[in-house]
Amino acid sequence: MIEQLKRELEATFKGVSVTSEADRRITVVVDPLQALALLRFFKDRGFSHLALLSAVDLIDKHAFELVYVLTSYVEDTGEDAVPGELILVVKSMIPRDKPTFKSVISIYPNAEPYEREIHELFGIHFDGHPRLTPLFLERQYPIPPFRKDFDTRRYVEDVFGSIPAIGDEEG
Amino acid sequence: MNGTSENKTSGSSRELELYFGPQHLGMVGNFSITLKVEGDRILEARANPGFLHRGFEKLMEYRTWIQNFPMVCRINVIESGSMEMIYSMAVESLAQIEVPERAHYVRSIYLELCRVSSHLFGLWAYSNMLGFDTVAQWAMYHRDLILDLLEELTGGRVYNIFIWPGGVRRDFPKGFEDRIVETLHTIGSCVPDYNTAFFDNRIFYERSKGIGKITQQEAKELGATGQTLRATGLKFDIRKVAPYAAYDKVEWDVPVREDGDAYSRILVIRDEMIESVHMIFKLLEAMPQGPVYNRIPNPFKWKIPPGDTYVRCESSRGELGLYLVSDGGERPYRVHFRTPSYTNGLILLEKLLQGASIADVGNIMISLYVVAPEIDR
Repeated sequence: MIEQLKRELEATFKGVSVTSEADRRITVVVDPLQALALLRFFKDRGFSHLALLSAVDLIDKHAFELVYVLTSYVEDTGEDAVPGELILVVKSMIPRDKPTFKSVISIYPNAEPYEREIHELFGIHFDGHPRLTPLFLERQYPIPPFRKDFDTRRYVEDVFGSIPAIGDEEG
Repeated sequence: MNGTSENKTSGSSRELELYFGPQHLGMVGNFSITLKVEGDRILEARANPGFLHRGFEKLMEYRTWIQNFPMVCRINVIESGSMEMIYSMAVESLAQIEVPERAHYVRSIYLELCRVSSHLFGLWAYSNMLGFDTVAQWAMYHRDLILDLLEELTGGRVYNIFIWPGGVRRDFPKGFEDRIVETLHTIGSCVPDYNTAFFDNRIFYERSKGIGKITQQEAKELGATGQTLRATGLKFDIRKVAPYAAYDKVEWDVPVREDGDAYSRILVIRDEMIESVHMIFKLLEAMPQGPVYNRIPNPFKWKIPPGDTYVRCESSRGELGLYLVSDGGERPYRVHFRTPSYTNGLILLEKLLQGASIADVGNIMISLYVVAPEIDR
């Protein structure tokens, strides 16, 4: 199954790197321009469940990495059905200074709150999302909180004026 | 005021905006829904989470691998067992740690006890909301009996921190197996009472049949897992699909129902509790002797090789996943939990509330088994 998928992918998409790991996990790294087509391909191929949409701030590489975790609902037991234990991780890197990506709601409707959350916590904009309104946070701050350059002490000073002293720990 | 910024009123003066929760008797937990209603019909519902956002995923980036355990428990307040399990699984997967055979069984038994206690809590919430106060008290009492067991085993009643990378913190105390059996028999002997007073009760049937109905196709499309999905007839349970711990070592079945409404969801929960109890008996019988813990490196200087992993397990509410990234340091680089209530509470809830009656808001929400801290994290 993994080998077959690998062949199909390399025939359909250019510049896709596929690695598989021991614990039934396949990682596919794809160029952002091809990501949507790739996700559509996987959805049609039987990976009908978007388990998680996450983002990682790779500050050293000046990029954000978007991570789509896809699995199947094992309803189909045919020859080329996706085994339930298979986890597919699709990764795509976008530049840190222009954090924009296409929304995947049209493919996976349950991506809606995930994209909203990533927009709020990482400041990544999703084109075509119907409501990128705040989900969790109370106040907006120039640097979104889950970015690696967000400084919690600085934030407290900026928002609340000062940091109350607690003994001598850490200055 | 999220509601006003995206105002979509049709101009009818009969429409009004209603804030349902967090201070509302029909609301469970710190969660709010903004409803647009006409009469008692809901035209549009907007879930409004964030009252319990503690930023755990960010805080975990500042703490060492082992220091994060007290934190993960608090993500799902009602069932801490599966949260410890998922974090341990992820750390074990990244650091390539093996778990002894007996520890798998101890973990499974512990997780099933947590599941039963969580389901009893859910039963309390549901029956209490419908006005079955007596049943609610029974469920709370029976949950307490399980908490007594957990207290004896782990020292904690709610936040146990029992599962560690490499196994579990300690083996069963002397005679603990017998006390598990005894407690579960006490609870099990009350199942006929529960049935008479609640599950077979006409009032419960009338109040939940056909409420919050969803088809299997819609459920899959919207990413549902857990009882919500199993109540639509699909046998999808991570314990079967991708077995972990000792779930592939004994025979057990995944309870399903066909109708996809609140009634089916609650009955799936009941059947699951019964199945879990039977599973615990089988696991206790099949449990081998041996160590329950493989030594891990000194946790104060523990560095985990760079890499990322996604692991998943079946919590009492559905698929619980964790995406964990290590950059080779002493702390996680990125932590992201996929919690079942996130999908159920934010997408399914909004969908199911459309066209429902105001009286059913709490009904639908609790039957989806939403627990707010899990959404906010």
